[in-house]
Amino acid sequence: MSGSVMLGESSSWSRALVNISPYTFSAIGIAVAIGVSVLGAAWGIYITGSSLIGAAIKAPRITSKNLISVIFCEAVAIYGVIVAIILQTKLESVPASQIYAPESLRAGYAIFASGIIVGFANLVCGLCVGIIGSSCALSDAQNSSLFVKILVIEIFGSALGLFGVIVGIIMSAQASWPAKPV
Amino acid sequence: MSSAFIGDETAPFFGFLGAAAALVFSCMGAAYGTAKSGVGVASMGVMRPELVMKSIVPVVMAGVLGIYGLIIAVIISTGINPKAKSYYLFDGYAHLSSGLACGLAGLSAGMAIGIVGDAGVRYFSHIFFYIISLIDLNKIFHFSFHINFYVLVFKFFYEDDRVYLYD
Repeated sequence: MSGSVMLGESSSWSRALVNISPYTFSAIGIAVAIGVSVLGAAWGIYITGSSLIGAAIKAPRITSKNLISVIFCEAVAIYGVIVAIILQTKLESVPASQIYAPESLRAGYAIFASGIIVGFANLVCGLCVGIIGSSCALSDAQNSSLFVKILVIEIFGSALGLFGVIVGIIMSAQASWPAKPV
Repeated sequence: MSSAFIGDETAPFFGFLGAAAALVFSCMGAAYGTAKSGVGVASMGVMRPELVMKSIVPVVMAGVLGIYGLIIAVIISTGINPKAKSYYLFDGYAHLSSGLACGLAGLSAGMAIGIVGDAGVRYFSHIFFYIISLIDLNKIFHFSFHINFYVLVFKFFYEDDRVYLYD
């Protein structure tokens, strides 16, 4: 029975939320973690790739060096995969009487928020790295001494995905389901 | 068993969402700032490659916003512990509002850094070029000091009036 031992739900938000299974939130969080991260990586790759291929028509020497930008975008997708796998190992089955217990609800919310954090942080990171990678390719085609300097900016951009992964993993440590009754 | 959990059941939802908002919106601002000023630096670097390393300042400023969001998100998420400390809806809403405050402020700061950094970096190349054309050849001995001084002085005095020296 939901809410049997808590102070009564005084707001309608609470009455709606306690009736949603924590597994719903967990599943959505895990899906968002990987799906939106891959969306960000793909977006970045196509932004970088189209500029790179266009610039390489006149300056073919830039192709092999500038694949690093594509690899930075790909790393964002890998972060999403790693966190999604970590989050799905945090799922535990609880007996039916415990599904709506406060601890399970909290675990479900933690996995949901962790997935949202990782997904959307990787989305913006992939976009950022993609845009900078495209200007890196274009400026490398003009002047090859610029490649390493613009790469420094790209490294700052890819740190954003790492922030998301760190917070996502710290938050997933909060996902402790109730222990099974003996 | 259930007395170990002190507080409202759904309060952690808002608390964790506050931590999420803090990080996600700050990262959006940091990404916008990094990307927009990075594009400006790359465009400017084609004409003046020696100024690129000095122009990385807006990118670093934007990266710091992501760190602010990270700190607040970690503080909020480690503060949600209903077993050790009571966690009512009040606490959940407080965490949500603090996360939104940090995140949305970071988003707006990042957008400002991006737009100003992009314009400033491109402006920096123009001003620098015309300062060099004005410097007397006798001052080559204190070349770099004077260039920096003039750039600072001209930027300070003229950025409001938008005086263009090449008219």
